[in-house]
Amino acid sequence: MSSPVLQAVAVKKHYRLAKHEIPVLRGIDLSVQAGETVALLGASGAGKSTLLHVLGLLDPPTAGEVHFDGQRVDNLTIGQRAALRHRHVGFVFQFYHLIPELTALQNVLLARMMTTSVWQFWRQRKQAKAAATALLEQVGLGDRLRHRPSELSGGERQRVAIARALLAEPKVVLADEPTGNLDSTTARGVVDLIFEIQRQRGLAFLLVTHDERLAQRCHRIVRMQDGVVVS
Amino acid sequence: MYRLFLAIRYLLTRPINLLGVAGITISVWALVVVVSLFSGFIDIIERHVHAASADIVVSDLPSWTSWPKLRSALADEGNVAGCSPRLLHYGLLLRPGHRPPPTPLPGRGALHGGDQPFLFVLGIDPIAEATVTGFADWVAHTDIPADLRGSTPTLATEDGVPTVLIGLDRMRREGLRRGDRVVLTTANQRSDANGNKSAEKVQIQLVVAGAFKTAHNGFDGNTVFVADATLRARLFPDAPDFVQEVAVRCHDETQLKATADRLQRAVVRAVEKNQAAYGSVETWREKNGMFLASVEHQRGLLQIVLIVIMVVAAFLMLATLSMMVTEKTSDIGILTAMGGTPSGVTMVFLACGLVITLVGVVVGTIGGILTGVYLEEVRQGVRWLTGIDLFPIDVYNLERVPCAIDPWWLVQVAGMAFVTGGLVSAIPALRAARHDPLVSLRGI
Repeated sequence: MSSPVLQAVAVKKHYRLAKHEIPVLRGIDLSVQAGETVALLGASGAGKSTLLHVLGLLDPPTAGEVHFDGQRVDNLTIGQRAALRHRHVGFVFQFYHLIPELTALQNVLLARMMTTSVWQFWRQRKQAKAAATALLEQVGLGDRLRHRPSELSGGERQRVAIARALLAEPKVVLADEPTGNLDSTTARGVVDLIFEIQRQRGLAFLLVTHDERLAQRCHRIVRMQDGVVVS
Repeated sequence: MYRLFLAIRYLLTRPINLLGVAGITISVWALVVVVSLFSGFIDIIERHVHAASADIVVSDLPSWTSWPKLRSALADEGNVAGCSPRLLHYGLLLRPGHRPPPTPLPGRGALHGGDQPFLFVLGIDPIAEATVTGFADWVAHTDIPADLRGSTPTLATEDGVPTVLIGLDRMRREGLRRGDRVVLTTANQRSDANGNKSAEKVQIQLVVAGAFKTAHNGFDGNTVFVADATLRARLFPDAPDFVQEVAVRCHDETQLKATADRLQRAVVRAVEKNQAAYGSVETWREKNGMFLASVEHQRGLLQIVLIVIMVVAAFLMLATLSMMVTEKTSDIGILTAMGGTPSGVTMVFLACGLVITLVGVVVGTIGGILTGVYLEEVRQGVRWLTGIDLFPIDVYNLERVPCAIDPWWLVQVAGMAFVTGGLVSAIPALRAARHDPLVSLRGI
């Protein structure tokens, strides 16, 4: 582990509901080192997912700063934030968020299409397809490439989502309750996969979870309560 | 890449989008076919009207007009190839003892060569007329059977009775044959010793000399020819040099308007009296302007109706795209997380609309062109299948359903479709872009 790849500095986030301001994050300081796995634990409403979204540049902080590789990034333009997300941040969500019209392979390939033109993608389509196929094989779905999400189980869908998050070779993966929608057996398989990939690729993982056992497998556990880090 | 890829995948997996494609296709097809049909029809009508007209017509001449003086003035114009004097009157042409026919049915009026009881009576010099119009061809038309064909010399008296040439269709409709006696009933203005004017009934006994046929049914159905001497003797006996109208043929038909303008000045000088201007000079297009404009107006009205259909089709597309955006808001979150921007999300759904429009325009245009080219075959096919004649070509004296496909009109139709499609696609696309991606990511 070395310098922080992702860092929150005194991050606050308020939501406005009618005339009321509702504080969700009340000054969070958090660092995730390169290659580190960090579990964010906390009860519902503690602000875990909001912090994940702020760190992933999906939601701007009300106050404070977000740094990526030592550079402040929360003040970038929409386009710059989108490009940074695409190149360096992978997301895995509780509800998979696969595109139902696409096959497993196309869902993964979509990550490559996000920043390429039609011509660029056409020129590198074979390499892109090979990389996506290799990732799906790595997550154990080599024989389900042409299956649509509706034809896959929950665990398989989450594996496709993990492969999609990895195609752009990000430095950090933000996972929001990746096993929250799975039964315990399937969840164990997905967790094993996550940690195996983390070890192989040396990625930083920030996992939002309620699962103590999953948290115990991470390098570090950060507990949140009412919008602040308590330990 | 993802914008077009997702747009196509979204469209291919939702058959309801075919409604939008079908709507655009039908409206584009209809705009191409109907306007091409009308354009072809207008081209042919113009050719037919021109074929039944002199290049330029001098009319509204005053009673003191002297044909020798006017002819000299017209001949000075370099583009004039020939002139023919005419007397123009009107009247009822009936067999002796017959009553006038009933009022014409709707849609069978003068413009369609229908059963108008009143006729224009053109008093002509057949030899001069043949030099400025297609008169010689009209009386020798191949459709005229031998027993209805006029004898030569044309419009010569028969047994001292003046003769009349009648349109072929009218002759057949009224069962007239060559040599039949008819009576032209008309009126003439007469002044008494005090200068009071009154109408005087005039009846002229005529013999049917034969039939004539031009390409313009409206002209044939409402015009008869007699020798100018016949009309002059009964209506203008004291004015041997008087003419009411002059038919002019030009060397260069592309210069008709400029020639008409110059002739107008020459005619005014030739018939001027007390510093007042008399006489009117019009090209064949101006002379038939009302008729030609009425067909143009019909085309314009149909264009408006069909463009409204395109707008309705676009609203159909708006409805299907709006449904799709509502259904696909869940995808907006993950697209944003993967590096998409609001403008990128907008483009996904805008591309959906533009792809629908593109497919509709391509299919509609190709279908419209093919239908236009084979419109006559389509007409015959429909008539064979259903017995319904969609376009009764014999009414308009046509050999096949006309069609003139104008590439510029195709470009205009495609442009209208893309503008309309783009505008209605932008509404749901912008709604998608305003959707908060976090709402879908949280699974709310």
